[in-house]
Amino acid sequence: MSLLSIDTLSKSYDGVRALHRLSLSVREGTIKGLIGPNGAGKTTLFHLITGVERPTAGTISFQGLDITSLEPHEIALLGVGRTFQTLQVMGTMTVVENILTGMHSRLKGGFLSCGLWLPWIHKGERTALQEAKETLEFLGLLGRWKWNASHLSFAQQKMLELGRALAMRPKLLLLDEPAAGLTPAEVTRLAEKICRLREQGITILIVEHHMGMIMDIADEVAALHNGELIAEGPPDAVRNDPRVIEAYLRGRDA
Amino acid sequence: MVKEYNKEYKIEYRKRDILYTAGLWLVSLILPDPHLPYRREFIKKRDFFYLGALVLLPLILSDPLVYLMVLAGIYAIVSLGLSLFLGYAGQISLGHAAFFGIGAYTTAILTTRYAVSPLGAFGASALAAAVCAYLIGKPILKLKGYFLALATLGFGEIFLVMVRESRSLTGGVSGIFGIPWFSVAGLVFDTYLKQYYLIWGVLIALVLFAKNLVRSKMGRALLAVAASEDAAASVGINVAQVKVRVFVVSAAFAGLAGSLFSCVMSTANPQGFSLGLSVLIVMMVIMGGMGNLYGPIFAAIFLTWLTDVLGGYQEYSLPIYGVILILLLIFFPDGVGTRLNARLIYLISYWGRKRRREKVDI
Amino acid sequence: MPPWVHIPQLLAAGITMGAIYALVALGFVIIVRASQILNFAQGEFVMRGGVVTFFFIKGAGLPYPLAALLAVISVVCIGFLLHLLVIYPLRKASVLILIMATVGASIVLSNTSALLFGTLPKALPPFSGDLPLEIGGIRIAPQGLWVLGATFFLFFVLYLLSNRTLVGKAMEASSTDPLGADLTGIARNFMVFLAFGVSAGVGAIAGVLVTPLFYTSYNAGTLLGLKGFIAAVVGGWGKNSGAILGGFVLGIVESTSIAFIPAGYKDAVAFVVLLLILYFRPKGILGSPYIDSRRW
Repeated sequence: MSLLSIDTLSKSYDGVRALHRLSLSVREGTIKGLIGPNGAGKTTLFHLITGVERPTAGTISFQGLDITSLEPHEIALLGVGRTFQTLQVMGTMTVVENILTGMHSRLKGGFLSCGLWLPWIHKGERTALQEAKETLEFLGLLGRWKWNASHLSFAQQKMLELGRALAMRPKLLLLDEPAAGLTPAEVTRLAEKICRLREQGITILIVEHHMGMIMDIADEVAALHNGELIAEGPPDAVRNDPRVIEAYLRGRDA
Repeated sequence: MVKEYNKEYKIEYRKRDILYTAGLWLVSLILPDPHLPYRREFIKKRDFFYLGALVLLPLILSDPLVYLMVLAGIYAIVSLGLSLFLGYAGQISLGHAAFFGIGAYTTAILTTRYAVSPLGAFGASALAAAVCAYLIGKPILKLKGYFLALATLGFGEIFLVMVRESRSLTGGVSGIFGIPWFSVAGLVFDTYLKQYYLIWGVLIALVLFAKNLVRSKMGRALLAVAASEDAAASVGINVAQVKVRVFVVSAAFAGLAGSLFSCVMSTANPQGFSLGLSVLIVMMVIMGGMGNLYGPIFAAIFLTWLTDVLGGYQEYSLPIYGVILILLLIFFPDGVGTRLNARLIYLISYWGRKRRREKVDI
Repeated sequence: MPPWVHIPQLLAAGITMGAIYALVALGFVIIVRASQILNFAQGEFVMRGGVVTFFFIKGAGLPYPLAALLAVISVVCIGFLLHLLVIYPLRKASVLILIMATVGASIVLSNTSALLFGTLPKALPPFSGDLPLEIGGIRIAPQGLWVLGATFFLFFVLYLLSNRTLVGKAMEASSTDPLGADLTGIARNFMVFLAFGVSAGVGAIAGVLVTPLFYTSYNAGTLLGLKGFIAAVVGGWGKNSGAILGGFVLGIVESTSIAFIPAGYKDAVAFVVLLLILYFRPKGILGSPYIDSRRW
């Protein structure tokens, strides 16, 4: 059953073709890797899926629902979470508050009820705090829950960003280069956590350059080049595909 | 010999230790915290000190100073509202004086022409300001940075022009006179003392509301919108809606303040709601520190006092005011509290570091 | 008489006023092209141009052209000072702080003007006599033609400056890509410094030109600055041509609106135009290189 399906998606910016008739799908409960040289259109694809940009042509469906023209927050509310390539950790808040922000959609209350601190708000905050702490424990950040988020190390901030996306209990998780800038030990830890997420039933789409990690944990890999899909299938098949090798070695012109 | 020397030093160390720590503790008791993580406890021991000071203050101060505190309280309400919009959600508004004016004029018109009770006018003022904010906010809040600042400034100017021109409704440039004192159930607030308690009482209630808001998911949503709109949207926060709603809330605060202003001044005229006031309120929020609730209130007291002091210098007042503004921005961009606190801690910890340096030399 | 009879005359007035707005808008755009900073004190440069010229004529008894020249030079110095004392210390500060600082500078400038030169409005004699010319039934003050001429001349000069000289290109580079500019050895802060001077100069010239038409006083600067900014946005933010076009559009719209609404609301018209443009087409008429379509 494909959770996310993309159909002949195209996107151009003022004549520059970022994506061209891209079609791919992600099966529920699997990890799909998305690889390709820089500029192949991977982050653009993420922007299109999450509604930050609108495609020039084509459709995106999530759980059978057409999400092509929805607003980013609406798509998020449907159960699509994401992390960002340029880390968007909220440095003005504490670690636990970042996680709690992720739970925004699952908490009740609007401005008035929050301001008046009505009873259900109080209860909601207490249970939310408990749950946030559990998430932090899963990520290994519990000891620093009161720290200001900008004081964490780079790897820890990446974990925090992951945690914020997890806090909304997404069905589909889009990870944009989660291993970038991490040491090999940290990458292993990250890979292990992502596998645990798959066991919990979350479907994951990862954009990554770290071949080792992708080949290890992905069920299926898709390769992009110049905005087009050049290979799709099990990791080994894609790794050995001549077109993929050519794309990585030759770059844009290949 | 070395041991004896150390022993002497050690005793000195203890005495100064206690003295300075006590001093630091006392000072930290009084000054508001700068940007502290994990939205602090709801009430701290410090708050009782503030409350006590507020209650006792007018009994010590002379009448003109009480009047100053009354004004400061009114402006504090506006800056508290603006701090939610500017300090927490990170959006710029240079037109909040307009909402203040809307509140003031609503109360003025309702109480003088339609004999509405001051309490009813109070509520209506907040409502009027909120509705205007909603109507203006929806299109404007799509903008960012300079453009939002200028759009809000434009709105403020349009408001002034409309007030000056609709002579039949608002009395034009001369304004409306004879606004009755604020009264609730027979209790009339006609002296500065009574007005002081009224206004600061309202302020305390609004502070409690704001504290609740800031500690809750909506407070986090505001900070999230300021930190990263993309990330906020990715967790399901409707950024546009949050911006409009916090704009409305801050306008409602300003409207309430405006209503109280009318009742205190007994008149309402356009001069009181100019761009200069909007700038002043924004300065209060910046000086108080972004992401801070008490800071803007302290800054309101300070700046109200400052404008009063400068007023005594007549024509030199405004250029000096501008220069002070610029200097404050250059030296205290994170808010006065942050710098002062940090400076004090640095100063007081100086002897500790000196001691450690000396120890190493021996 | 039906209101639209007045339109041709109003159009002429609008074009004249529009030229002034265009010059003020140019001043804004010059600084923005170098640094992405909005200088709220721009209108004050214009005001100072007129007021200081008046001072040099009446107070120091200098001949008109010399007084105007000295005034422009002194305002350019004020522009440099503004950069050194306010903008440079805050070069790393956030947008909000910069806005407030230039607002503060605007307050200082307008009120010290009131202190030094008095609060009475000042008027200057027109360049070439008082008699209005009659062209096709419309009366145009000859000063208006000077204004138009100067506007196009300055626009041409600035075009040459930014497109043909290295300094101009450097200025633009430091605004579009600060890091890149640093890496290629462009002294960014100096570029901004120069931009402030040029912008002050343009503003001062506008002030000298406009004072014979409408007197200036210490508080005329703020409103003029705001309208100049609106003109820059309307025409296309960040483009010299946008500033000019926007200036004329705003001037014409503002003037012709008098035919239909009470005169007191004239100032509000500019702001309504601003709100409309920001809502419907934030890029401005000619489009803007700075405004990302994704975000607006």
